[in-house]
Amino acid sequence: MLFSKDRIGGILLLAFCITYGILSQNITLLPIQAKAAFTARTMPEVLMVLGIGLSLLVLIFPGSHDRPQLAGFNWGKAVLFLVLMSAYGLTIRPFGFLISTSLFLILGFAMLGERSVTKLLLVSVPLVVCFWLLMTQGLDVFIEPLPWFLKG
Amino acid sequence: MIEGILIGLGTALTPVNIMFVFTGCLIGTFIGMLPGLGPMSAIALMIPVAASLEPATGIILMAAVYYGAIFGGSTSSILINAPGVASTVATSFDGYPLAKQGKAGKALAIAAYSSFSGGVIAAIFLLVAAPFLAAVSLSFHSADYFALMVLGLTAVAAFAGKGDVLKALLMTVIGLMLSTVGTDQTQGVPRFTLGLIDLTDGISFLLLVMATFALSEALIAILKPSGDDKRQEEMEASTKLGSMKVTGGEVKEMVPVIGRSSILGFIIGVLPGAGATIASFLAYGTEQRLAGPEKGKLFGKGSIRGLSAPETANNAAATGSFVPLLTLGIPGSGTTAIMLGALIGYGIQPGPRLYIDQPAVFWSVIVSMWIGNIVLLILNLPLIPYIAKILAIPSRFLLPLILFFSLIGVYFVSFNTFDIQLMVLFGLIAVVLRFLDFPMAPMILGFILGGMMEENLRRALLINNDSWSFLWQRPLTLTILVIAGFCLFAPILWSNFQRLRKGADRAGEGG
Repeated sequence: MLFSKDRIGGILLLAFCITYGILSQNITLLPIQAKAAFTARTMPEVLMVLGIGLSLLVLIFPGSHDRPQLAGFNWGKAVLFLVLMSAYGLTIRPFGFLISTSLFLILGFAMLGERSVTKLLLVSVPLVVCFWLLMTQGLDVFIEPLPWFLKG
Repeated sequence: MIEGILIGLGTALTPVNIMFVFTGCLIGTFIGMLPGLGPMSAIALMIPVAASLEPATGIILMAAVYYGAIFGGSTSSILINAPGVASTVATSFDGYPLAKQGKAGKALAIAAYSSFSGGVIAAIFLLVAAPFLAAVSLSFHSADYFALMVLGLTAVAAFAGKGDVLKALLMTVIGLMLSTVGTDQTQGVPRFTLGLIDLTDGISFLLLVMATFALSEALIAILKPSGDDKRQEEMEASTKLGSMKVTGGEVKEMVPVIGRSSILGFIIGVLPGAGATIASFLAYGTEQRLAGPEKGKLFGKGSIRGLSAPETANNAAATGSFVPLLTLGIPGSGTTAIMLGALIGYGIQPGPRLYIDQPAVFWSVIVSMWIGNIVLLILNLPLIPYIAKILAIPSRFLLPLILFFSLIGVYFVSFNTFDIQLMVLFGLIAVVLRFLDFPMAPMILGFILGGMMEENLRRALLINNDSWSFLWQRPLTLTILVIAGFCLFAPILWSNFQRLRKGADRAGEGG
């Protein structure tokens, strides 16, 4: 099988190893290290050779010939969750912990099929408030609760 | 040793630490019970909490979560035939048939007693083996450590599944590559930072673990079509746990199985790269062969031996895997690799000097294993019918919560939103690689050992005046490297040997 799981993975990791190898040449070396047996580049260069070698071996001798099955999976939902997580990362500071986390959970529950607004609010908001209280009061980890426009 | 045990008891038996053992066992059982989330994810989720505690308390908490998660995995294997982790797959072979016969309570009790016995017996072995091995390894040089790390990494290949050897090795190298990101420790030169200040300190170990385990597990569960209805039906079928009593005859049947499986599990656990999964399958296979033709037929249909053996062995192996971690500072499994990362986070370097420099940490981990096992037995067993209700929580609530705890766990350590974005990226890559059947644990092992490996190699070269001859001139280093080479090529040699034997058999039949 030309495009088996192992081969696709092998190609992806080969590309990663080649990029890693190219970037390893950008590591600055001090003049006094020119003849040293071990420099900041040594390990990356050894790893590049090993990585490219092993990726090629995976491509040439794949362990399995299974093709990846793409049908029957909720790809759209998974992508939406990746976007949601990224958006959470961007909003946690400006919107504060309480609003951003509550929104993250409400949207997450709704995306997975919860339709009752009461349940969405009753599960997320108290949980977020309790968690914030536990972190700030119990473990002394402070995190800004409110959005920028409500800060004192 | 007695003094050490007393130090351990003194530390582990403080009210705060006992409370954390209880909490850890309970949380571990909860998380371990969720199909897909295993000990690695459970420990990873606990790191941010443990980081805010005293080192001994933090490690005790993580060890308790580890045991709890293994026990929790067994519970979901028995009740709904959904092993949370690979090490409890063998448990479901006979545990689930017993539950279907209306003996779920008995199956859970047998699993709990076996886990307890396996854990306690292995902890005794650990008590004897760890200080001895630590004393021996005091004479190790940097070159030997480098060789040991090579051995630890190549051993992963030896125990990888058929056809997975190359993939396991490649993922190990990827982990080693990721460990080189950030400022070079000795020369202060930035490496692979892409000009980003956020990468100057390298990739956070917690971030990588959370992204590749907890986050990707949850994303994979989102990818798969919902199994809530099926899970609900299975839960209803197993709500009647039945009696938890184990008869005298059954105890008699279990005792020799526990004895054998504890020894086997511990030895397998000590070997780097092997771990609880191999131990549980080996113990199951061994007992099936020893049971004889009549009792052997019961295996897979609700055999008590078949349930007791893997349960004992996986707990004993979990304990055994602490030996290389505590004595050599080399993790033998993905889980202990995470523990090693946490210890380094505390500024503690596990290794032969751990029991001299940090006796409280060393001994309290060992003693807490006993306490953890006792807690699992007296607290979790009676609570199982209630804890099992967690299996009925709809995944539409559970999955976003797991994602939230993973993201916030990482954010609370660095307070850097860049880490959340990086985590999402690694989570996506991990999902793709897991989808393509590439293992994640070797990558974590490589990532953890990468820095130490480079440091030891650099030091060994410095000591040897930049000469690589130490690799073959120092007998201990050479021996370890030869063993590593054997580990690397053994699977290939073994498969070729089997192919030759099959060919010879066929030729014999034909002739």
